[in-house]
Amino acid sequence: MDIISVKDLKKHYQIAQKEAGLAGSFKSLLHRQYSVVKAVDGVSFAISEGELVGFIGPNGAGKTTTLKVLSGLLYPTSGAVSVLGFTPWKRQPAFQKQFSLVLGQKNQLWWDLPAQESFILNKEIYEVPDAQYKSTLDTLVQLLEVADLLKIQVRKLSLGQRMKMELIAALIHSPKILFLDEPTIGLDVVMQKKMRDFIKDYNRQYHSTIILTSHYMDDVKELCDRVIIINQGRLLFDGQLDEIIKKFANHKILTVIFSKDINPDALKSVGQVREFTYPRALISVPRAETSAAASRLLRDFPVADLNIEEPAIEDVIREVFTGKDLA
Amino acid sequence: MRKYFTVFAASWQDEFTYRLNFILWRFRNVLRFLMTYFLWQGLFSATSTIYGYSRPDMVAYIFLVLIVQAAITSAPSADNIGGEIGSGDLSNYLLKPMSYLRFWFTRDLASKSLNLLFSFIEITLLWLLLRPALSFHYSFFSVFGFVASGLFAMVIYFLVSASARFTSFWYPENTWGLSFLILIFIEIFSGSIFPLDVLPPAGQIILQATPFPYLIYYPISILDGKITGLYLWRILFQSASWTLLLLIFTRFLWRKGLRVFGAEGN
Ligand SMILES: Nc1ncnc2c1ncn2[C@@H]1O[C@H](COP(=O)(O)OP(=O)(O)OP(=O)(O)O)[C@@H](O)[C@H]1O
Ligand SMILES: [Mg+2]
Repeated sequence: MDIISVKDLKKHYQIAQKEAGLAGSFKSLLHRQYSVVKAVDGVSFAISEGELVGFIGPNGAGKTTTLKVLSGLLYPTSGAVSVLGFTPWKRQPAFQKQFSLVLGQKNQLWWDLPAQESFILNKEIYEVPDAQYKSTLDTLVQLLEVADLLKIQVRKLSLGQRMKMELIAALIHSPKILFLDEPTIGLDVVMQKKMRDFIKDYNRQYHSTIILTSHYMDDVKELCDRVIIINQGRLLFDGQLDEIIKKFANHKILTVIFSKDINPDALKSVGQVREFTYPRALISVPRAETSAAASRLLRDFPVADLNIEEPAIEDVIREVFTGKDLA
Repeated sequence: MRKYFTVFAASWQDEFTYRLNFILWRFRNVLRFLMTYFLWQGLFSATSTIYGYSRPDMVAYIFLVLIVQAAITSAPSADNIGGEIGSGDLSNYLLKPMSYLRFWFTRDLASKSLNLLFSFIEITLLWLLLRPALSFHYSFFSVFGFVASGLFAMVIYFLVSASARFTSFWYPENTWGLSFLILIFIEIFSGSIFPLDVLPPAGQIILQATPFPYLIYYPISILDGKITGLYLWRILFQSASWTLLLLIFTRFLWRKGLRVFGAEGN
């Protein structure tokens, strides 16, 4: 059963143009001109219960916009969206009690009060029973190791500590669906790892459905089996992480160790030289020509060692993002 | 309901962390009281009645303004709604099963209750300090009418300032201008500086077509026994009508605004 379904979703923003300078400001005050940003432009996908999906794309791709439509903050320009059987932008309480959106750089906690007060407020807002509140809070506080921070004013917490508190506040009502927008942004490597472990556990233990955006490939590699890639508001890929390589990488990487110094220019006849520092060279060659290139290397050069590899997922994704190599 | 009680409690805690802010705000109100007090003292030094107000009448009026203002115009919502829309922080509320308007009205109530408490203390101190002659003409009906019109005034003030702030949906950057203008109107035309019946009749008629006199002038005049009988009921009815009208208008703006809300941020 699909818990989230999105069909041909479009979200176009109208933005008022402003000309530079004071005179320009006056001009645009009297006579507004609008331009349209196609933030999401015809995206479709479906997600079933318990999935942990990575939602990736370059800056401005439309990820956050999609999540905001899914959580009912934005009205779509067109398209059909159903989350848990609800239409998100109707913002029905029965729907709101079942999901959470965590935006990495927004905070919902009351700045001048201890985080605990915000938790209590959320407990009441979401009408969480006392016993459930206590046990959820205890579990979360233990998992995230924040027991001694509960009574400290939020403004006095560090970024990472605050992120943990934000996460607790978002989970107090045990949401079935979690939209996490860059949950590891600004965290140190140790904290990133902990956050990842936590997200993985949360997904397994509660069988919750999670959509996660991140610019850290480690997050995606470690957490998500399935990945959706969008760019410029359009869907580029939806499938298993390792299929990305098969689908988009139309080349392989030859790693060669030479036994004698060679003329680097001569290597150009084999393929595109990515790196060369004697004795090691990385050469990228089209998939279909891999074996031909390898035998040419062995025949024409003093090769001590040769390896044929798939390109790194990071590289493939970078190329997908920049629109190269899409043929 | 319980969620709004919790909001109320948290708001009190929040006000306490901003003690200095709160004290300065109260100080401002006392200063304004002193300003109008000495202004009227000056005017009354030449004559014993002005527009039918004797000196004790007028002093009673401005003492009451201090209380009524605490109950009606202390409203953190007015300072926050526009900013939250412009910055996109409104998103935090829209995600939750809670009404944004009720949330801020509750926070206003919390602030009003604190301010009211302080205004009573201030009035006692000011009275002990200045020992002016006061005259009140209240009755059971005038107190009832005062409370009723005061409650309407609270809601009217909230709705006027909230709907002014909702212009941020369309003009996220320049909401201050309009709100500031409305604040000035409220300051002058609600009767917080002078009772409105000192204005020429034409001015009074124009003001009656706006919600401003219902904020301060009418509640105080009712308490003071100047508005009684059928007239009292008419004013209460008109207060209720303004409340309803503004409620419909505010909700209309809210719904329209959410359609263009960009949920900015991140
Ligand atoms: N409220 C808004 N009003 C107008 N345009 C917007 C608004 N929010 C986003 N946009 C535009 O829509 C596009 C998509 O933005 P979005 O925030 O969805 O990108 P994103 O994929 O989350 O990027 P990032 O990785 O940088 O967070 C961008 O071009 C952005 O400038
Ligand atoms: Mg984003």
